[in-house]
Amino acid sequence: MAVKYTREKLSDGIHYNSLINKRQKTNTLIIHLITELSPETASVNAIIPYVLSGSSESYPTLTALNKKLSSLYGAVIKGSVSKIGDSQTLSLMAGCINNRYTFDGEKITEEMTEMLAGCLVAPNTENGGFFEKDFLLKKQELLDDIDAEINEKRSYAFKRANLNIFKDEPAAISVKGDKSHAEKLTAKAAYEQYKKLLATAQIEVFFVGAEESESCKKIITDALASVDRNYAGDNTSAKSLLKSELCRVTESHDVAQSKMVMAFKTDYDNLVAMKLMNAVFGATPISKLFMNVREKLSLCYYCSSGYNDKKGVLYVDSGVEHTNTGKAEAEILNQLKAMCDGDFTDEEMENARKAIINSWKGVSDGARSIAEWYFNQCYSGTAYSPEEQIEKLMNTTREDIIEAARSLKLDTVYVLTGKDGAEA
Amino acid sequence: MHFPFGKMVIIMEKKIVKNERTGEQYTYVKHPTGLDIFIWKMEDYSTTHALFGTKYGSINTKFKTKDEPDFITVPNGIAHYLEHKLFENEDCDVFSLYAKTGASANAYTSFDKTCYLFSCTDNVYDSLEILLSFVQNPYFTEETVRKEQGIIGQEIRMYDDNAGWRVFFNMLGGLYHNHPVKIDIAGTVESIAQINADLLYKCYYTFYNLNNMVLSIAGNVDEDKVLEICDKLLKNNSNPELETAFEDEPETVCKPEVVQKLEIAMPMFNIGFKAKPEKGIDAVRAEIETNFVLSLLADESSDFYKKLYDDGVINSSFSSEVFMGDGYFCSIFGGESRDPRLVRDKLIEEINRCKKEGLDEERFNIIKKSYYGALIRDLNDAEAIATVMINAGMEKLSAFDVIETVAAVTFEDVEKRLEKQFNTDNVTISIIEPIGGKEE
Repeated sequence: MAVKYTREKLSDGIHYNSLINKRQKTNTLIIHLITELSPETASVNAIIPYVLSGSSESYPTLTALNKKLSSLYGAVIKGSVSKIGDSQTLSLMAGCINNRYTFDGEKITEEMTEMLAGCLVAPNTENGGFFEKDFLLKKQELLDDIDAEINEKRSYAFKRANLNIFKDEPAAISVKGDKSHAEKLTAKAAYEQYKKLLATAQIEVFFVGAEESESCKKIITDALASVDRNYAGDNTSAKSLLKSELCRVTESHDVAQSKMVMAFKTDYDNLVAMKLMNAVFGATPISKLFMNVREKLSLCYYCSSGYNDKKGVLYVDSGVEHTNTGKAEAEILNQLKAMCDGDFTDEEMENARKAIINSWKGVSDGARSIAEWYFNQCYSGTAYSPEEQIEKLMNTTREDIIEAARSLKLDTVYVLTGKDGAEA
Repeated sequence: MHFPFGKMVIIMEKKIVKNERTGEQYTYVKHPTGLDIFIWKMEDYSTTHALFGTKYGSINTKFKTKDEPDFITVPNGIAHYLEHKLFENEDCDVFSLYAKTGASANAYTSFDKTCYLFSCTDNVYDSLEILLSFVQNPYFTEETVRKEQGIIGQEIRMYDDNAGWRVFFNMLGGLYHNHPVKIDIAGTVESIAQINADLLYKCYYTFYNLNNMVLSIAGNVDEDKVLEICDKLLKNNSNPELETAFEDEPETVCKPEVVQKLEIAMPMFNIGFKAKPEKGIDAVRAEIETNFVLSLLADESSDFYKKLYDDGVINSSFSSEVFMGDGYFCSIFGGESRDPRLVRDKLIEEINRCKKEGLDEERFNIIKKSYYGALIRDLNDAEAIATVMINAGMEKLSAFDVIETVAAVTFEDVEKRLEKQFNTDNVTISIIEPIGGKEE
């Protein structure tokens, strides 16, 4: 059953998107501020949603905010930051159960929306900056997070690989920024940046619920109308350029298992065909990479592929014994060649198609997953529903897959290896 | 089986279970084969989640049937071992069967159940056929059983380094004298060495009897089609009149303190309060009311938490939970601390204070709304609903019992529960210390 999607312009660069699915038992509101990724502002932007979601003028402490949220039947308000293509997205999310499920018909959705609007436009401040004590706690958490990136070796390798894959492009920048900028953050400077973002950022509001809520919309519209806007323009991403020469980087680190990230670039623009090619090639437990490189040859503990459509980059991400990186690379290329040669069965293609349909059809069931789907559409300037994309997927042929595979050109091979990995 | 009148008459007990409060409903069917079936139709949803499970977990090592008059005891780890082996067919593994339907599949073994599941948006009936077929068709030989021993042995040893796992089982070992809940779900390297094909088949035919199993499906499914597939694939077997039992368990703890050293940064602890287990709906009530007590005593908004947090005795990893099942019940507080014994002493002090001075009624009302809201949120999600139904089904309860119990809980119930469930003499603390002594 399709979800009803509408998009309405509130003012320059501000849109209200609503997703209505009559079976939703909860109401969810998400406010995204989209801005450019830059080394100077990545850290300060990364801290802002966490500061905003922890308190507000009306609920000046986390305890006060949480107590109120609990009384709204366990409503939540959360901040997060993410990267999409060359842009950084700061998000505030709020969710609660539908008013009709409350014991006494309380209007909790409206109360929660007021709280969220307060977090966004009326934060807890002192001396022309964010409230110092809370800000410093969040700053410490950000610094700890940046330090902890090294703990998770797979994502750490991915982050290091990005620096090379996207050399001189905004997408190379880590979504939390770097330590040197984070260390210099002050409550006052962060507050200045927050005010600037409110004025200039692209703002996408999403409401997901069983029925339209005019009252919630009014609360959000009024709150945003109180902001002086000076819109900087829509955010876009450029397809990553193929380097003239293959970039090979090996870094050494204290790991038991090497991590290898290979990046292939493309300017092919049939997204659905590339998704299907990616599923046959490496995105599922029945894909070529999984069945051959991992299961049959036991070259990798994990080996899978993923596609970043905003940047036109297909990744192959693998965990390999130090001594096997060369063999694994050759075998991954070998499997890609098989895709280019059309050397895959109809069964492989149909199983992959089913796996994608399975996941796209499920998107409408979850409030956050459907909101994320349409946020991606907004960013790309499109508005395809999951059903429309499934329709395209059904019409995607073997030839499309081959064409998609052939458009991929190896750009970067990044290896994070053990201290003695180079000799091994 | 011989039917004197030439054909079998299928007698199916079927009822619709409605809940006024939420406006939700599901269908319960007692299938002639003995299987309890729960179907919750979620119109306008795309995802379907199905669980097929047996009330057979790691703790069920002592049992008898009508064919065996005396209780027998089998080695630890068989339930989990069987789960591994059922995922292999005679000619392929089960994942490759599901690849054709696009479903994502999995299985798990806990202390008191083993469940096989899939989640899909299309071809739900084909996936259901796969699920019902492979679980009912065990295939293993001495050779394939032996092969698995190495794999499961590695899995057990992998957890030996896992501080979070160790601190929990060390606590259970301190709390319980005899109850098998204190043994790792996968068993021990020694116990799985005793497992062979005969034992696996014996336990399979004892516990994977449809009278001891539940099928739970939530999603946009046609009830009649589901039942048609059940009629086609469910195997008739006589009720073995299974009974399980446990060694007697004293009310007191076995050891008040267990300490181990591992490669970690800061000491970790679990503090368990042992209480008397209950059964059926009483157990549900005990679990819910004890959860209220835990929130009131020590959740993030409590004075106790705030005080210990501000004094640097605990950090944000501090949390609490109820851990209960057939023959065991305890309340657990866990986290990291430079001085875990101080946390225990402060907890006991706080419990005694609350017993004397009472709990906070205003916070009780807030916690009740928050608890209830979380249960309503779960109703958005096919996986959560299917899980609620199978858990209820295994205990012969209604899927709405939890939500109704939460809505009906009173402050007085919770104060009584504090008195009943928290005996400060029956406490075990388990500590994992960093190698090289305490971190300063």
